[in-house]
Amino acid sequence: MHIMEGFLPWQWCLVWWIIALPCLLLGIYQLKRVLAADRDALPLLGVTGGFIFILSSLKLPSVTGSCSHPTGTGLSTISFGPWITAVVCAIVLLFQSLFLAHGGLSVLGANIVSMGVVGPLAGYAFYRLLRDTSVNIYITVFLVTAMADLFTYITTSLELALAYPAESGGVVSSFLLFLGIFAVTQVPLAIVEGIVLALVFKYIITLKPDILIRLKIFSKEKINAARNEI
Amino acid sequence: MKFKYTLEILTGIAILAFCAVFLYTSSTMSGAEFSGSDNVGSGLISKLSGTPLENFHPLIPQWEPPSSEIESSLFAFQAAVGGILVGGVFGYWIGQKKKA
Repeated sequence: MHIMEGFLPWQWCLVWWIIALPCLLLGIYQLKRVLAADRDALPLLGVTGGFIFILSSLKLPSVTGSCSHPTGTGLSTISFGPWITAVVCAIVLLFQSLFLAHGGLSVLGANIVSMGVVGPLAGYAFYRLLRDTSVNIYITVFLVTAMADLFTYITTSLELALAYPAESGGVVSSFLLFLGIFAVTQVPLAIVEGIVLALVFKYIITLKPDILIRLKIFSKEKINAARNEI
Repeated sequence: MKFKYTLEILTGIAILAFCAVFLYTSSTMSGAEFSGSDNVGSGLISKLSGTPLENFHPLIPQWEPPSSEIESSLFAFQAAVGGILVGGVFGYWIGQKKKA
């Protein structure tokens, strides 16, 4: 999903930076508040952030004959919401910009918006929709994770389509072309990522159910039901 | 008694299916290079804008790993940082649980 350095006109770089910055500031503010209220949230942040580090470093082959990487933002989105997730993503994307030449400083705002803001926001919408229903916790985690991953790549496609509209068909035609490259490649990866992170969430529930209840991530009844389910 | 490992088995099946799809794709799709989708996307940008790839230059100067081997080790370093975080916290939680 990385837009490479130099591949986005400076005007668009500026637009995405202007959108990304307030999200990051809100994330830093929320992070301070969460950690001040409960220091036990720090290890959970370590685990959820750790998976963003691991999964976003794995380039996996897909059905389109090209490689892509999962985003790993689902767990963080469920546990801490999209704004704190944006901060963790910004750290990972900054590392990749500085040391791996994946992305870049000028396009960092655009990459933060796709991986750290819109993807997690889409996942968070699914989480809020399903959290208080009878839907199984693991299905919720699967859907949130897969959607956060998929919407990251849909957003990258839109960012590129806005900057490079096709001669015939304009932004829509260009968007569909970029979707063909990014989103289609991502579908199998998003499914596997969703299943793997649902399994990780099972281990978090097994080892530390109290922190999930204290942070009001899921209700006590739902956590207890999930412990007995699978 | 309920079966406890449904998710583990589902995960195993999903990973095996993913590997099988890769093997099938790589053996049947002609011209599948499995390069990064970022690079394929950059190719489309070049096509849409009518600008050759070599004419795109960084807006902000950027350090590039001198070889793909160094790039791979830096990616491995990133994964290792995540692995240490995850392993460290799970170990800490297991220790806390045993203590309790």
